[in-house]
Order: sequence, then structure tokens, then C-alpha cells
Amino acid sequence: MGKIKVATQWLEACAGCHMSFLDIDERIVELFRRIEMTSSPITDLKHPPEEGVEVGILTGGIGNEDEKHEAIEMRERAKVLIAMGDCAVTGGICTMRNFFPTEEVLRRGYIETESTVDGEIPVHEDLAPLTDKVSGVDEVVPVDIYLPGCPPTADAIWYVLTELLEGRMPKLEGKVLKYGMDGG
Amino acid sequence: MSEIHLTINGQEVVAQSGQTVLEAAKAAGIDIPVLCHHPALSNWGACRMCVVEVEGMRTVQTACTLPAAEGMKISTHTPKTTSLRKFVLELLFSERNHYCMYCQMSGNCELQDQAYAHGLDHWTYPRPFEKLNVDASRKYFIMDHNRCILCSRCIRACAEVAANHTLDLRNRGAKTMVIADLDVPFGESSCVECGTCLQVCPTGALVDARSAYGGREKDVTHTPTTCMQCSIGCELDVVTRYSRLLRVDGVWGSEPNDGLLCVDGRFKPLYEERKRVTRPLLRKDGELVEVSWGEALAAVADKLKGGSCQGLAACATTNEALAGFAHLMNRVGGKGGRLEPQAPPLGYGVPGRVTDVLSADFIIVAGAQPLEYQRVIGYFIHRAADKGIPVAVITDTENALSERASMTVAAAQAGVVAQAAAAAEKVVLVYSIGIKPEVIAALKPLGDKVHFLALDPARNGKGAEAAGLQPLTPVKADVAYVLLGEQAPEETLQLKAGFKVVQAAYVSPLTEQADVVLPTPVWSERQGHVTTLDGAVKPLQVVLPAPAGVRDETEVFEQLLGLLG
Repeated sequence: MGKIKVATQWLEACAGCHMSFLDIDERIVELFRRIEMTSSPITDLKHPPEEGVEVGILTGGIGNEDEKHEAIEMRERAKVLIAMGDCAVTGGICTMRNFFPTEEVLRRGYIETESTVDGEIPVHEDLAPLTDKVSGVDEVVPVDIYLPGCPPTADAIWYVLTELLEGRMPKLEGKVLKYGMDGG
Repeated sequence: MSEIHLTINGQEVVAQSGQTVLEAAKAAGIDIPVLCHHPALSNWGACRMCVVEVEGMRTVQTACTLPAAEGMKISTHTPKTTSLRKFVLELLFSERNHYCMYCQMSGNCELQDQAYAHGLDHWTYPRPFEKLNVDASRKYFIMDHNRCILCSRCIRACAEVAANHTLDLRNRGAKTMVIADLDVPFGESSCVECGTCLQVCPTGALVDARSAYGGREKDVTHTPTTCMQCSIGCELDVVTRYSRLLRVDGVWGSEPNDGLLCVDGRFKPLYEERKRVTRPLLRKDGELVEVSWGEALAAVADKLKGGSCQGLAACATTNEALAGFAHLMNRVGGKGGRLEPQAPPLGYGVPGRVTDVLSADFIIVAGAQPLEYQRVIGYFIHRAADKGIPVAVITDTENALSERASMTVAAAQAGVVAQAAAAAEKVVLVYSIGIKPEVIAALKPLGDKVHFLALDPARNGKGAEAAGLQPLTPVKADVAYVLLGEQAPEETLQLKAGFKVVQAAYVSPLTEQADVVLPTPVWSERQGHVTTLDGAVKPLQVVLPAPAGVRDETEVFEQLLGLLG
């Protein structure tokens, strides 16, 4: 049997979920005997291949049009989609801005910050416009597996991936189901 | 009380009449999830987490409010109840801001625990992201409405345990909010900051400003000990992490306070800012300078050998230290006594216990201000007043208890109170140093149905009593030896001795006028015992290590006795 293809992508995220992924330590050797990482934010290829992958992993919430596009692309190309980390599951800490209108958030960030002199809100064709609110992945595309945590522990990530490799749908409960950091 | 037989999950359970299904299940070791329920508070039935199926009943029932009845057949964990509980949790999580990752209660949160238990790996419903207030107008703790699940535990704790009735709900449905008084900032309300609401809050809605983010349950140490802020002797659960005092909680089911604390007991030790004495000081050429314990004690022993001595103890230390102090004074032929005054004896009645306030059918308060100085007793009196028990305040000055008392009379009219209480069976007389001889005389006809609580103005006055230390005023002597501990001395206190020894934890005007200052531990650093208002001898545990250089008084007295030969 060929290797299982896995792609990851981060959206509105701090990279902590990917760091936690790397925290599986030496188990990564065993994992890479069984999977092929087609693309990820920390490898050369960033986008999942057009021919698709078995497992797609998204970290981060969705807060702008580009992230929305990335989520849709991953959903289209992955058989099983995992929302990994509190931001991907619920929007997480990024939703703090949901309590304010988008214009107010941009003005506060780019113009009114105490250290800013002559600030302006950047506008450029390469910059994706913000969505009205930050959301979890499942408000944009259907999600198959939710793996909460800020970040999820390496053990929880390992559990989910190995269950999938064994052909089972992982059931998040007990020690692997935690919100926030290391189960709070 | 009769027995009731019911079946829970196929198991035969014997309950007592008056018990709820939840209580019966708990007694039988069957766990039913709860959120709004708290064993110290009345049953509410607000959250619907405890729903159970009852054979023959059309709908599910809340176990916390359902009285156990003969022959009931209950199922606590069915596909239906489990799915309903999950539904309740999803609604709760969708209502306000329940993002755990930046909440200080994450890891200690009952809402989070239930979500884990029910395998809630994501939220089905969208969140409204309504911006709610964070009320930080109180000094010690913060109300974050965004984290509130409207379980009303705080409201019930305020009304039923502290009997203060500050909190209530405003509006209905999704607009419901916990408010103080007629919706004023908490800091401007009638709140007495006893922190009972803080202790019962199941989520991060009530936040202790000092311990927030200071350590999760798995990181902290709990030490049971006794409060020394006043003479009641409430039981405490002190929470520390490494050498940091994080939080003080009451202990449910404990004597006499049953979980209730006051602002002093719960918060004062966390905000102590006086400067510590950490090294022995000896006056040399008019200046107090740091010296070794050997040099300081030699100087004290030298003076004690030579002349007359008066010993004055603030009753702010352990029974052991007070007994050791009395022994030392006897040994040097000095006169030893206590600094604080003591309530006079009545000459009639029987000594009462603090909890007698809750079972009295008439309460008299005379020459005492428990709401100021022994607050938990004040709250107990409020609780009795809430039940309609008559409370009579005899005072010639302002007394905060008057507001909710059934009568307030001047000392000269104390006879009126005696008449009003004549028909009562159990009269509790709460009095202190302010009671006047004519009041004692006027209440004498009540005789032995008086259960009296003589409130001692000193923290461990009962311990001093046991050590034989009577109130004394400073007199002229060659040596004055003041055992102050952590007590702040009266500003008017002037020692009249030629040589002054002050054994104290903090720098004060009294240590400034001393010739020798010996550092002592404070409440949280002591090992020993205190005697409570009820006369119980309770342990004091070391919660934090004392600063290096500080020695316990008992050790110092031993060393002085050794030097005296």
C-alpha cells in the first residue's frame, strides 16, 4: 500500500498547533514511514495537490477572504478534514475582534495604537479583506474531525492521526479532549 | 423522618423523606451532573443538567428539585438524558464568551469539566458575540458577565449564606444579567465583599483579582488552618503555590462558620503591605541596628535579670506562645497580662456557641458590633433575622445591625428587651466590651435561658484567658516586654519602662520606640493552636515559610529561660 497523503495549512493562527504537531518528537519518524506530507506552511509546497489527499488538517480560524479560500480548497482536496486547535474549531482567540466592527479593529490596530505615528490602514490587491467576523472552519466548510486545544497536545494529535491510519474515526474524549492550554 | 424506597438505575436506594432525588442518588454513590446546584445552597433547577427520567412521568425531571418519593423508578443516564445534557451545554457555550484558552478558570471550571465529560469537541450553535461588562469596581474580585452562565449560585450564596441580598437578576431570557442592588456597579453596592459568591461560582465569571492566573488546581497546595483575623476562629482552606499566598476559601460543613468567611478572613492576609521585621534589632547609640539573635537575647536576658518587668501580650499569637509568655513572666517575677480589654462576665446564663445564633428564637446584641469586628456572627444574625427571629440591639451609639433588627433600644431601656424576650425559650445574647452594667442587670431575669457569646476584641483572647493573662495597662517598670506579633498597636500605646522589648512581625510606632525588637512569624507562618470563641482548640498550620531570621516566640522564650539560668 502506498503512503497516506496528508496536507496541512494554517489560517488565522499563531503556528502553535504546528509546533505541537512537531512535539510528537521521534514519533514523527514512524509517522513519516506511513504518510506522505504533500504540503504544509513549513515545507516548500504550501497547497494540497490538485489530485487530492486522504487527510487535510486546518489550523486557525477564518478571518479574511484568503483564509476562506484556503479552507474551501482544502475541503475540496481532502477526503477527511480535521479542524485542529481551538481557533479552527471555534474561531478561538481570534474571535476577540468579533466584539467590535471591522473598521474599528483596523483603525485601532493601524492608526490609534499608542506607538503609531501617521498610521494608515493598508490597502493593496495582495492583502485579503477581513471578513465581518472570525469563525471556526465549520462555518465555512464541513469538518469531519474536531481536535480542540490551544494547542492540542502532541499526544492528542498523535492519537487522532494513528486512529485514522488504523482506519478508525477517532473519538475525542478523556485525556485527548481538552480546551485551552494543556487542558487548562 | 421516615424512609423512602426508590430505584435508581436499577439499584434499590433508601432515602430519607425530604431528600431530593439528587441527594438520594448522591448518598447511594450515583453521580448526576449538576451546574447550578450547590450543596450549601437552596435547590434551583435552573440549568437542567441534572435531568433524569422517571417511570410514569411524561417529561424528564430535574433531580435537584424533585423530591424522592416511595416507589419511584429513576434512570439517570439514558440516551435521552445524555443528549439533553449535551444540548444544555451547547446552549450554554453558545450564549456568552466561553473561550477557555484565555480564561483564568480553565482547569478549575465546572462548565469545562461537564463539557469534557460529555465529549463536547465543538459547538454547534453560532455565538452572538455580544459585548458585556466586566465590573472591576470592587477591590478584591471582578465580575466578568461574559463568563456568566446565570446559574444564580452567587445570588443564592449572597442571600442565603451571607444574608446580604445584594445580588439579583435583571430582565428575562437572553437579556438576563446578574446585578447588584438596583443595577449599580458592584463597588458602589451594598456588597460586603465576603467573597462567598466568588467561592461558589462554577465558571470564570467571578474572578479573584489576586489569584487569577496564579495557578490551576493541579499546581496549587491546599492547607487547612484557622483564621486569626478575629476571635471567632473560622476554618480556612488556604491555597498557595510555591511560597505565594494565592487565595483563602471557607470550608463547607466546618464549625462554626460552615464555609462563610468575611472580607478580613478571605482577603486581608493577601493584601498585607506593612514592612516586616526580619532581623533582631538592638538600640545602640540611640539607633536601632540589626544584631544577631545571640546578642539581642543576651541584652534582653541581662535586663530581665536586673529589674522589675511588665509583660503585655497582644492576643494575636498561638496558645503555645501565650502560655510561654505567661511562663516567662512568672519566671522573672514580672507581671504579665494582655493588651486588649476583655468582655465582662455576666454572672448568669450558659456559654453559647456561634451556631446557637442560627437556632435561637430571640437574639439580643448588647455593647457589641459584630458586623464590624466579628462579621460572620453579624451575617449569622442577619440570617436569623431573615427567618423572622426577633433581633434586639441595645446600644447608645450607631450599630449597623440596627437596620435589620426588630428593635433598637438605649442601654437605659434594656428592660424592655428583657420583657420582649421573656416568652422565648432560647435567647442568644451577643455582647462585648461595650456592654454596660445596667444592661447586664436588666437582662438578668432571663437567667439560664441566655446562651451568651462574649465577643473577645482580641484575635486569640480565649487562648490568653487559658494562659491566665488578664487585661493590664502599661505601668512604670524597669523593663516592658510587649509580645505584639502581627497586631497593629494602638496609636496611643506608650510604654513607661526604662527598657522596652517588642516582639513583633511588623515595623510600627511601637517597634520604633523599642530598645530591642525581636521578629515574630505571622499567622500564616505559625504552627500551633488557637482557641476559638466556642472554646475549641484548633490547629494553626504553616502555610508559608517564615522569612529567614524570624523565630517562633515559643523558641525565643525557651532560649531566654536558658539564658536566665
